[in-house]
This record gives sequence, C-alpha cells and structure tokens, in this order.
Amino acid sequence: MEKNTINVPGAEGFAQPRTRRDFFKTLAVAGAGAAAGASLFTSKKALAQGSTDADIFNFALTLEFLEREFYQRALDAGVLSGAALGVVTNLRDHEAAHVDAITDALQGAGATPVAKPNFTFPQGAFSSQASIINLAATFEPVGVGAYLGAGPMIQNPDFLEAAGTIAGVEGDHVVAINNLQGVVPPANTAFAQALTMDQVLAAVAPFLGMGSMPATGGPGE
Amino acid sequence: MNGSEGRTSPVGFDQEHSRRDFLKTAAWATAALSAAGIGGFGIASRSANAAHVNYPTYQGLGDAAIFSFALQLERLEGTFYARGVDAGLFSGPALAQIAAIRDHEMAHVDAITSTLSGAGAPIPPAPNFTFPPGTFQDPGAFLQLAATFEPVGIGAYGGAAAALESKDLLAAALSIHNVECQHRVAINILNGVQPPNNLAFEPSLPLPAVQQAVAPFGITG
Repeated sequence: MEKNTINVPGAEGFAQPRTRRDFFKTLAVAGAGAAAGASLFTSKKALAQGSTDADIFNFALTLEFLEREFYQRALDAGVLSGAALGVVTNLRDHEAAHVDAITDALQGAGATPVAKPNFTFPQGAFSSQASIINLAATFEPVGVGAYLGAGPMIQNPDFLEAAGTIAGVEGDHVVAINNLQGVVPPANTAFAQALTMDQVLAAVAPFLGMGSMPATGGPGE
Repeated sequence: MNGSEGRTSPVGFDQEHSRRDFLKTAAWATAALSAAGIGGFGIASRSANAAHVNYPTYQGLGDAAIFSFALQLERLEGTFYARGVDAGLFSGPALAQIAAIRDHEMAHVDAITSTLSGAGAPIPPAPNFTFPPGTFQDPGAFLQLAATFEPVGIGAYGGAAAALESKDLLAAALSIHNVECQHRVAINILNGVQPPNNLAFEPSLPLPAVQQAVAPFGITG
C-alpha cells in the first residue's frame, strides 16, 4: 500500500483551513473594508497569462486520459465486486465521456487534441479493490482542483460552462470514492479546493513517467 | 394507494393539492434538468441550438445580483437541512451527512453575505420559506426533496458562472458549485441510488428554470 503513495495532497489537505482561508481571502471578506471589497466586483485581474483555452483543455484532456485508463485497467483487473464495481464502471464511463467531449470541443474550436500519453501506474495499483480505491481517492481531488484552478482562466463562456459540468462530476466522484472507503460523512468539505497547474503537474508527473514512480504495475505485468 | 379518492377533509384536500403542486414543480424541474442534459455536453448542444442555451438573464444580472440570488438559494438549502436535523429524522451516518450539508450551506451563506457586504451591495431579506406538508415528518420525503434541491443549486451556479465578471467570484462560484455536486451524490447515497455517481456531466440550468423551481419555496426574486 505504501507504494501507492503519490505526491498528491490527501483528501484531508483539501478540507483543511487552508481551503477556507484561501476562499475567504479570495472573497476579501471580513475586515477588507467596503472599498477593497467593492473592487471585487470590477476586478478584471487576469489569473493566467499565456494559457489559451485550447492549452487548458488539452491539459484537461491529458488528465481525463489518465483517469479513463486507470479505471479501465481497474475494471480489467477483475478484482472489483459489488458496489465498488458499479461505481468504478461509472467512473470509467464518465471519464471516457469527458475524453470524447473535450476532444470534440477542441476539434470544434479548430485546435488539435493532444495524443494520449503512455501512463505508468504504481506497482500493485490494480492488485486489489482496496489499492484501486485508494489510488482513486488521490486522483479525484486532483481532477477537481485542476478544473477549479483553471476555470477562471478560461475565456470562452462555452468552454467555461463545459468545464464546470465536468468539474462537478469529478466532485461527484470524490464523494462516491469516499463512500467506498467508509468515510463518514462522504461529502465533507464546504469549499472545494482549487489547485495550481504546478500542483496538478506535480501530482500526475509520476504517471507520465516524469517522476520516481516505478514504471510497472497493472494486471498484465 | 389511490389517496386522492380517500380525502375526507378540506385540510386533507389542501395538503394533497399542495403536494400535487409541489410534485408538479419538482417534475417540471426534473424535466428541465433532463432537457438541459440532452446532448450531454454544452458545447455540442450550443452550436446546434444556440437560442436555448444562452443565459441572457444571468448575463444581464451583474455579479452582485447573481450572488444575491445565490444567497437566497443557499438560505433555502441551509434552512431546509437545518430543519431536517432539528426534526430528528436522522441518526448515525445519515445524520452526520445531513448536518454536514447544513453546515456547508450555512458556510456558503456566510461567505456570500460577507462578500456582498464587503462590496457595499445590499443584503436581500431572507424569505419566509415554505415547504410541502410532511417534508420534515418523514426521512424519505425529506430526502426526496433534497434530491430535487441539489440539482437546482448545481444548475444555477453552473449556468451563472460564465456571466460573472470577477474572476475571483467565478473561482468562488466554481468551488461552491462543486460542493453542491458533492451533495447531490451524498443524497443519492442516502437514497440508496447505486451507483451514486450517476451523471457524466452536471447540467447547468437557465435562470428562468431555477426561478420556477424555487418559487414554490418562497424565493420570488
């Protein structure tokens, strides 16, 4: 199980005071004063420079490829049963639908979707239902954080709305996985945590062969 | 089970009438959700049917008005869950979840109120909320209503997001939107929906659909 530990903020990290503090800082609430607060409603401050909508959606596409492959291999491993099998089957289907939708959106905008990378998973990642669900529990908050972090950078309103409909589903997944893990209550955060692109990259780098993660694993190896 | 034939008092009639009106509203909201979900992905349906997927009413509101409306939705949800807890309908893990959702909605109320105040925007008075008879007398009825609330909140935030001018407020709205999605799945879990993560996309709703859905509960703004 230790081998499945990856450089991702744990579920706790997303629910800690940092979440609320950041949120309240963002909203510039108590003590900010009317003048400072008023600027919130007229702020046009750019949160990202140089990232186009296509860049952002291609980044999202890579994450969706990763999740789709993870859940597909989880199903192929044949170690899931009961409620977990149903949940993971839907997870796979949803991530596949996201891959298709983002690909269509990019093509519709005249952009070229990135190709699916070759992913590597930790040794033993697919050896048991518990190992699969534990790794899923680290994936899903990253997906949520990536979309929430990128959302305000998106210029095209259609892309923004699409990103929201997908981000919400990644939030759905967090709760479904929490429930499989016996977390009570499974929905346990008042504000979902955004991540920076660097944080997301650090979290997924091992799966892209860019970290120290052993390049092995999976039912066929 | 044909209750409409068994009415014996005007009161019973009124309650049945209210309940039917409510169910009609809920059904309407559900139909709206289904309609919003057709095509599954906003971008695809937008290009095909642009007239139905613009959100001109959100677009015309401005950030302060959008957050004022969001405040009423959060108050409605917070009141609903608080009354559910106070009614003693739940215990154990179910109570933990309902209480957590109540706390989340209240945290949203506080954050939005502070934001509006900080911006010098007026805080709308809290409506006198009304709920269908029996809502707080039966866990099943309560959870059924909860299952209709959450998609409305999700749809409202999802629909309004693209209309927000402030990127900071957009980030906040996306964070809250995600939590509402998490609530939807948590309610699915309590309702025994298997698997609880049952949508590939979390649909947005046009403003008139949200307004019509919440009007019976006392939100008339």
